[in-house]
Formats: sequence, structure tokens, C-alpha cells
Amino acid sequence: MKTTFTLNGTERTYECAPHESLRTVLRREGFFSVRFGAETGETGSAAVLFDGRLASAEVMLAAQADGHTIETIEGLNPPRGLHPIQQAFVDAGAVQSGYSIPAMILAAKALIASNPNPTEADARDALSGILDRETGYLRPVHAVLRAAAMLRGDEVSPVEPALIEPLVPLGGSPDMGAANSPLNLPPLAPRVIPSPEVPETNVVGKPERKVDAIKLAKGHPAFVDDIEMRGMIYAKMLYSPHAHARIVSIDDSAARALPGVHAVLHHGNVARVRYASGGQSYPNPQPYDQVSFDNKVRYVGDRVAVVAAETIEIAEEAVGLINVEYDVLPAVFDENEAISGNAPVIHDEPDMEGAHDAANNIVQHIGAEVGDFEAGLASADRTFERTFRVHQVQPTPIEPHIAIAWLDSDERLVIRTSTQVPFHVRRMVAPLLDLPVRDIRIVKPRIGGGFGVKQEMLIEDIVGHLALATGRPVRLELNREEEFISSRTRHPQTITFTSGVNNDGMLVAQRMRTVANTGPYGTHALTVQMVSGLRGLSTYNCPNKLFDCDVAYTNTPVAGAYRGYGAPQALFALEAHMEDIAAEMGMDALEFRRRNWTKVGDPLDVAAELGEGAAEMKFIPVVTSSGMDECVVQGQRAVGWQRRYDPAWLQPADRPHIRRGLGFAMCMHGSAISGLDMGGASLKINDDGSFNLLIGATDLGTGADTILAQMAAEVLGVSTADIIVYAADTDMTPFDVGAYASSTTYVSGMAVKKAADEVHRQIVTRAALMLDVETLGEIELKDGAAFAPDGRSVTLEEVALHSLHQDDQHQIMATASYVAPDSPPPYAAQFAEVEVDIETGQVTIENLVMAVDCGVPINPLTSAGQIEGGMVQALGYGHCEEMVLDESGAMVNARFGPYKIYRADEMPKIEAYLVQTMEKSGPFGAKAIAEIPKDGVAPAIRNAIFNATGVQIDNLPFTPERVWNALQTG
Amino acid sequence: MQTIHGYHRPADLEEALALLNRSDTPTVVIAGGTRVAAGLIQAGEVVDIQALADASISSADAHVSYGSLVRLQDLIDSEDTPALLAETAMREGPNTLRHTATVGGTVAGADAESELVAALLAHEATVTIARPDAQVDVPLDELLDDRSLLDGGIITAVTVDAGGETASARTGRTPADTSIVAAVGRVVPGGFRLALTGVGHHPLLIEQDDIERLDPPGDFRGSPAYRRELAAVLSKRVIAMLGGAV
Ligand SMILES: Cc1cc2nc3c(=O)[nH]c(=O)nc-3n(C[C@H](O)[C@H](O)[C@H](O)COP(=O)(O)OP(=O)(O)OC[C@H]3O[C@@H](n4cnc5c(N)ncnc54)[C@H](O)[C@@H]3O)c2cc1C
Ligand code: FES
Repeated sequence: MKTTFTLNGTERTYECAPHESLRTVLRREGFFSVRFGAETGETGSAAVLFDGRLASAEVMLAAQADGHTIETIEGLNPPRGLHPIQQAFVDAGAVQSGYSIPAMILAAKALIASNPNPTEADARDALSGILDRETGYLRPVHAVLRAAAMLRGDEVSPVEPALIEPLVPLGGSPDMGAANSPLNLPPLAPRVIPSPEVPETNVVGKPERKVDAIKLAKGHPAFVDDIEMRGMIYAKMLYSPHAHARIVSIDDSAARALPGVHAVLHHGNVARVRYASGGQSYPNPQPYDQVSFDNKVRYVGDRVAVVAAETIEIAEEAVGLINVEYDVLPAVFDENEAISGNAPVIHDEPDMEGAHDAANNIVQHIGAEVGDFEAGLASADRTFERTFRVHQVQPTPIEPHIAIAWLDSDERLVIRTSTQVPFHVRRMVAPLLDLPVRDIRIVKPRIGGGFGVKQEMLIEDIVGHLALATGRPVRLELNREEEFISSRTRHPQTITFTSGVNNDGMLVAQRMRTVANTGPYGTHALTVQMVSGLRGLSTYNCPNKLFDCDVAYTNTPVAGAYRGYGAPQALFALEAHMEDIAAEMGMDALEFRRRNWTKVGDPLDVAAELGEGAAEMKFIPVVTSSGMDECVVQGQRAVGWQRRYDPAWLQPADRPHIRRGLGFAMCMHGSAISGLDMGGASLKINDDGSFNLLIGATDLGTGADTILAQMAAEVLGVSTADIIVYAADTDMTPFDVGAYASSTTYVSGMAVKKAADEVHRQIVTRAALMLDVETLGEIELKDGAAFAPDGRSVTLEEVALHSLHQDDQHQIMATASYVAPDSPPPYAAQFAEVEVDIETGQVTIENLVMAVDCGVPINPLTSAGQIEGGMVQALGYGHCEEMVLDESGAMVNARFGPYKIYRADEMPKIEAYLVQTMEKSGPFGAKAIAEIPKDGVAPAIRNAIFNATGVQIDNLPFTPERVWNALQTG
Repeated sequence: MQTIHGYHRPADLEEALALLNRSDTPTVVIAGGTRVAAGLIQAGEVVDIQALADASISSADAHVSYGSLVRLQDLIDSEDTPALLAETAMREGPNTLRHTATVGGTVAGADAESELVAALLAHEATVTIARPDAQVDVPLDELLDDRSLLDGGIITAVTVDAGGETASARTGRTPADTSIVAAVGRVVPGGFRLALTGVGHHPLLIEQDDIERLDPPGDFRGSPAYRRELAAVLSKRVIAMLGGAV
């Protein structure tokens, strides 16, 4: 059938099938800004204006649009540059991955058209249907208000950092008087507490506009799916309906016979090659417990077969025609039961490699000891023990996993994929496809969020197999339900802390016993749990520490990497435990922690025992910078901590069923895996004095490309706009491990700085020649030119033209790489304010404040965005997100809504503070920021509930019935 | 998997009813289409009523009548809409959904957790259904108890008694979450009209004394016992807000 509508001002008629959504048709016609988020419409990434109203094109039939007016962002885009609404979003720092930004901009347009003077509540409502996993909504909401002001013709001031006086003088104690009077700061201003130790810079430390702002704000084709491939066919997976079963037989004849089907692959026709899917350095940590297709399934959602066909509908139909006979086996879901000795054996195949004790479902056993825990505990004045359980959640990037593979004209395999680890994927996929690495090219375009779940070789082998089998370009996109059940999740854990404390409040012994649940595959099993141990046992000083951890195989969905990587689990347990100890000892919760937390000069002794790079570590690292004291005081002021002691506030007289509370958690993370993570960068000059920066680092929306460009610009005395970034293509860019372990700023940043230093040297050499200056050190690069001491100068354009065309020709360029010897910890103070309804158990989060010491924030705007967005993901972890399985192991809530993530119109207040310290080992003083915001929210909420009600809740998340049950028994 | 094989957009009700009542082709109505297009409702062919249904709001004698095609956002924005209906329609879904979803679709869908349907119950809603043979007015509570009253029919309007003070209370995981249990109430001569979500297979009108006898289905967000407890607590709050004894 046909559908005719006015699209961006022009009447168009398109062919469509009755079942096709408006999104499907718009994308087919090249309107790539209308993006897939969820088949049931909840993400709003496919929102368009329908007769001027915001509507999700995902849950509207194309036929319904007949006779109506549709507008997409392509209709709003000026030919060059940005529309004022787009400008407002960019200025506000609202654009991270940008996947859903076109939808948000349309939402703003519709709102402002009907209401030129919107309130914050109006802006929040306008964005309520567009889920965002990255920004925490603060910047998009205020971008809408800013856009409205701009369109009204009001003056808007630039978004500049608000510089805040430190409250803790260097080496002194905090000024608590000042700490009790709150600041009143503009919402968009990144809050920066400068350190006098940080030198002046021109580009670094400034809120520069993102280098990819144009393509993202304008919805230009940028993501994996935003290309057109002639002859592309569509893949669809068949997943296991059973939690544990042997495949007795697969009959694919009916599927193959269906017209339009090109290939059906399963264990019967794909070579059995062992691998581990975690995207990690060579050699990948064991176990090697996966194959592309197995003759056994181990969870509901496990791979059984895949079909490639002319259309997605044919592929879906063919999947339904595959006849699989299963021998269903008993399953186990709980990690403690799984390793009890009486559980079904999940990996009984003879060819699996590297599990600690497969017969007892123990993937890994990890132990580490510093001092003598038992002796330390025996010597302690008091001992404390408590057990915590943390649950399973999914990262839910709004862009699910998607990959498109084809053979190029040299018959090399190209895989365009939404990955955090292009170089690891190339190396890891090669043996599965029986291709040499040289015959594979991995391209990472823009990514619509990753958060760790894309630190995985998850679907690239499948599209690779299919492209090789069919010779056609093949596309596989997971839908939302598939993303929930078949990709990767955060490890559930049971954690028991045992601590010995002396009466003076000093820790003398601490043990962390962890049983972790990796699901049926041990991807990241070793390293996530190592990070758990590291974070659990190196945040506080203690002479005697013991980490004792088993990682269990179970039949739940697979756990893997998720932003925070074991730390959120450990810090929930640790920070709850520390709070409880302080309460029982009658000590102030902050003071007890302050006595024990690691300070500058303290050794991070378990780091030498735990961690991927531990073998490389020849010395015990020490803390070289910490702004923890400042973070705490800034956070206390912002959250109004003194109310914690005010009975009238804790129990509001006018609402008898409400209790209020404030909670705190300390956070400490790492910056990269020392001795292991490597980044590379290549930088070359162009005719006009601009530079191409080629990096293997993987910007997931975090702004990594931008801060790396800022660093190069700083060294070269140019502006960020002079640096053209091209990232992550295994044929074009130097190697980089990829985006994980909070490493990009710290490690890839150092590589960029090294390359830029060398290019700087070459430019100075050339300029000296042109200016006839003898001492190279006298030449200064600034404002796009090279200056001699006497004030004469040549522009970098002149330098480039001279060196490329005129005299003693030479391409000014350099390549450098860097491996970090250290992993200096960022520190943070997380605060939460809650209200608890003691009759229903409902917990409402009123305010979240996080003050982070990330060294020198290279870009305060993107840094603040990382904290705000990370805190809101962490809020989901602590408050409302959970994957729920029924007794057969099937997920019952594999949909947004039932799986609840926060929307714009229900957010607590959130605020991020950037406390500067000068980390000498990092580029321009930087440490990492990406993961630490995930660490403290859950324990801060837990401790706030404790403050409000006196009840300690030891399992997540704090959903109403769980809290209500605790209130009944507590 | 999508199952829609045919799309019709009839110009009048008669034609729509004829399409809907073909014996050989399973056919469903779509209004906003948000549930049907999301694949949440299986359909063979669809009859889109956008060309024929009423999208207007009218008010007379303390009653407000909503054409079935009134979008939830238009209901919210109308000055004639009683506060409780606007408040609960706002909670029906986010902005993107409210501009598409319709009053008729929400009533026909009758989600167990729909606070708007509960609020319509409190407001003594009457549903006008057109059938090939006749047009009938059915009280919403009767329609909820006997869904077959809608078989082969099309909702053309929903009419409410707009008067009476109202109140609501709810519990959810987050402020905008679909409530685990919500209670809405309205003052009527001689007492209160109380309705609950999350305690049955559709929103329920209930007497306060009957709450103890509820036997709600449970799920991961709330066990039967917890839902019963919430029903009691939240109903009490609503009645107290309306000045009743608790
Ligand atoms: C992403 C998403 C989130 C949602 N979240 C919630 C939620 O949190 N809480 C909640 O309660 N609901 C929720 N819903 C349901 C939502 O309220 C309904 O989708 C909406 O109200 C239905 O309106 P519609 O006009 O789009 O219906 P349609 O999809 O057009 O139709 C829905 C049903 O009603 C029938 N129907 C429609 N109009 C008529 C008529 N005039 N006469 C007879 N039958 C008719 C259709 O045949 C169909 O069976 C959600 C839906 C989606 C897609
Ligand atoms: S743009 Fe917000 S989730 Fe990606």
C-alpha cells in the first residue's frame, strides 16, 4: 500500500506494508535521525512531530500518517551550522552520544511553539517520553529553557564554570562555618573548585564545544545503522527458551526452504572454536567457555541459530520454522546454590578451557591477603560482620547492539559495529571466522551509549559468519527484549564483610568474602571480581586484609562489563558496613571513615595482589593526589548535611507517615589498568595549519574525542576546532585497547600528548628555520602561530605550506603510544537525601550531590555531564532497576516500564562538583571520571534510609515492597 | 512478530462496523494505535477510526463528554476536564504517548494499572458503544466486568459526571512509575466513590469495607499481601483527604 504525508514541508508518497511503523518507513527513505530504541516505543528515540505534536514514530503505523504532517530534524536543520535550539543543546553540554538528541530537539521545538515561556516542569514534561541513559537530563532540560530564551530574543550568557572557593585550605582543616551557607549557582554552570597547584592553560580545562556537535545535534548519519548498503540482508537470532538444555536435533529445512532465506547457521554447520567474549587484552583471561553456536544452551536467551534473509520479516518467519528438539536439564540461578556441590553442572563439555572447578560451577577462585587477617581480627577491640546481596541489572544503552558486515572490493571483511573495543574485536573474531587479522577491518562510527556492555565481542562473529556464508552485506540489530535477555549485565554478588576495629576507630582487619554470579559464561568473571576486591579493600587503610572470592556459573543471563566494573557492588557493601560500624560504635559516620580512608602517601597494597596488571606491577602504588576532604565539605554544604541532626526536619510534623534522611558514601576508583592499558595516537599537519588526530580510542558519547582534541590543541597552541578527530577504525588509526577501565583520558590522553609534543618539536624546528632563530627552545606556539623571542612569527599555515611544498619537504607528523605505570585513584563524596513513606515503603529520592576529585577536568562541561549521567544510572541501580526472572529463568520484565529507568519528569535534584587536584602522572593533571559516579549512590541512599528510619537494608534495589518488609521486621 | 496484514480507514461508522464484523477476517480498531503498533495487541487487519470518530469535548449539565478520539493531552488541556481526570491522564504515559493515545483506546484497553480508567470509574463514566444494530450506553464498571459488551462495537464517546471533590494516592517505585496500587476517590451524595488500580485484572470500584477481602494478583513489584496492604493504606488516605472518617 501507499502512504502520503507532508514530510518536512514537501508532500511525499511512500510504499509501505500495513504493519510497518512510521519509523521503519522514514529510515528506509533515508531519514536516519529517527532512531530505533525499543519496539514498544518507550525510549522516544524515534520521536517526530506529527501535526506539530511530539509522537513516537515507533508505535505508529506508517499508514496512520497518511494525510498528516510529519517533521523530522532534517526539516529543522539549516544548510550549515546550527538552529538556535541545536545551539542551545550544544552550549548546555546536553549532547553526549547524541543518539536521541534529534528527538529531544523536536520535543523542544514543539514545546516552545506552543509555549514560548516554558517552566522547568514544562521542559521536563516535554522530554518525558525520551529516555536518556547518559546525561541525567539536567543539561537537556536546561537546554530547552535556554533555547526558549534564545528564541524569545533574550540575552543568554555563555555556559562557563562557576569557580568555587575551596573550603579546605591546603594542609588545613575545613571551614565548617562557610560549609553551612548554601551557594546559589546557575544550573548549567559546571561547579569547579580550583586548585592553586594547577597551571594556567588555554584550551584544557575549558568548556569547549564537542567536536562531533554538528553531526549529533543535526541528526546526520553517524551511527552504525545510518548507512545504505546495496543488497543488504537481515539477520535474526533464535534464542533458547530453556535455561539449561541439550540440543538433541535441529531441523532447519523448512527455514531454508522459505523464499528469501539466504543462510541458517547453528552448531551443525559452524566450526566449534573456543573463545571468551570479553573485550580484553591478549591473551584474553580464561575461561574459554563459549563457541559461536553450541549443542547445549545454558540460559533463556542463549544462542541457538541465526537466519539471514532478504527482509527482517522473512528472517523472523524463518526463525519460527526452525525445529529444535531439546533435552531439558535442571537449572540453577542462585550463586550460592550453584557452588554448593549439589547443583547441575553447567559446563560439562570436555573441550572447555580454564575454569577453576567446572564440576562445581566455580569459574574463578580469587584470593589475596595483605598482613594476617585472622591475627588482626583476633587483636581487634571489636568485630563486625554483615552480608549484603546485590542484584542483576542491564546497562540499556538506548542504541542496542548492532553490527553490519560485508566483504569489500578486496574481499576483506568489514564489520561496522557499535563497540567499545574495535581492536580487541578484530583480534578475537579472527579465529572464529578462520580469517587472518589482516583480512578484517572493524569500523566504529558514533555509538549510542555503551557503558561496558559493548566491551564485548557479542554479535560480530555472527554477522561475520553470515557475510562470509552469503557474500552479502548482513545487518543484525538486537531489539530491546533481546538486548535485555541476550547481551550482558552487572554481576550479582553475595558479599560478606568482616571487620576488626579498635576503640579509637581504626580498622585493624577487614575481610571481604564474595560469591559472584557470572551466569553461564565467564566473560569478565575474573577481572570484574578483582576490581570488586580492589575497591572493597583499598578504599580504607587497614593493616590486615583478605579477599576471598568465588565466581559461580549459573543459568541466569550472562554478566559482563558494566560501567563501574565490580566497584558499585563492593562499595555498596563496604559503605553500608562502614556506616553500621560507626553507628554501633557511637561515632560520627564521616569522622569514622575519615580516620580510615586512604590519603596522599598511603599505599594501595592490595593493588599489588589484585587486578589484571598486577603481574606487571613491581612496586606497591601509593596515593599521589586526593581531594577527598574538599569533596566531603563541598558535598555537605550542597546537600544541607546539618539537617541530618534536626529532629523537626527528619520527621515533618505535617506529614506523619514521612521520614526524611541524609546519607553519605565515599567512593574511590582507578584510572586505567596500570601496566596493561595502552593507547595510541597519530597526529599530522594539513596545508592550512589544521591537524588530523587519528586515535584508536573509542568515544561512546562521553566526549573522549573532544578532550583528546583539547589536549592536542593545548600543546600546539591552536584551538580545538583546528583538530579534526578521526577515531577507531582498525585500518586507519593506531591501536588502542578501547573505552573501558576509565582509561581514555588518562592513557589515550597521554598518548595524544606525547604525539603532540613531538609534532610541536617538528613545528618549532621548521619555524626556527623560517624565522632564522637558533635556539629551538625560544620559539613559542600560540594562537595558531610560532613566535620568535623578538615577536616575529609565522602562522602554522605558513609552517605547513613550507614543510609540505616549499623547502626540504617533510610531513610534520608523529605517532605515539602510552602505557600507564600507575592508576591514580579519583575520589568522590556522594550524598543522598530521601523521603521514606513508612506506611507503604515508598522511597523518594529528593537530591543527589556528588563531589568528585578527578584531578584536572580537561573539559568541565563534559566532566560534569559524566557525573550527572553516571549518578542517574547509579540511582537506577540503587532504587528501581532490576532484572526479574521467573522460576524457569525467563526474564519477566524485558521492557522499559516494567524495567524502570528514570525519566526527565521524575528526577530528583542532581548536582555535580569538580574538585581539582594536580595529578602529576596524568595528562595536564587529569585522572579518570567515567566510572566513579556509579559507585556511591546506592549506599548513600541506603544510609539515608537508615538515617530516616533506623532500618538497615542490605539488598538492592530499594523498591517499595522490599523497604516495607524491612520496616515491618526492622 | 507483527501480524497486521491489512489497513483500512473507513469514512463512516457504518463501514467501520462492517469491516470490524467480518466473520472471516480477525480485525481490530485502532485509534491512537500506540498499543497495536507496539505489537502489544495482536491484530489481523486494522480499522483506523481517525476519519470518522469524534475528537471533541463537550460539556452540559455538569457532565463532560469526550469523543473517543480525544487525545489524552487534549483531555488534560481542556478546561472542562475535572482535576482528577487530568491528573491521572497525565500519569498514563509520557508526553510522546499522550499526544497519540486516545480516550477510547485507553478505555477499550482497560489496563489493570490505568489510573485514568480508575478515575473514570470514580466519575461514573458511561461508555457509548456503536454496534451494527444499535448504539448503547454502558456504565464503565459494567463494561470492565463484561468485556464482551464491546465485541464488534466501537466506542464513540465517554461521558462523566464532572462534579464532586476528588483525591488520589499512590505508591510506585519512582514518581512517574506506573503505580503498584493507586487509589482515587470522589465525594458523591451519601459517601465516596472509591476506585483502585493494581488489585485486580482491571481497575476496580470498591467499598472501603471490602478491601480486606481483595485477592489481588501479585507480581515482582508487589505480592498479593502487599497490594492488599497498599489498597487499605491508600484508600484511607484518599478518604481522609476528602474529609471522611478513617
Ligand atoms: C510505550 C507505552 C507505554 C505505556 N505505558 C502505560 C502505562 O504506564 N500505564 C497504562 O495504563 N497504560 C500504558 N500504556 C497503554 C496506553 O495507555 C495505551 O497505549 C493508550 O491509552 C491506548 O490508546 P490508543 O488510542 O493509542 O489505543 P490503540 O492502540 O489504538 O488501541 C488500544 C486498544 O483499544 C481498542 N480500541 C481503541 N479505540 C477503540 C474504540 N474507539 N472502540 C473500540 N475499541 C477501541 C483497540 O482495538 C485496541 O485493542 C502504554 C502504551 C505504550 C505504547
Ligand atoms: S542521547 Fe541520551 S541516551 Fe543517548
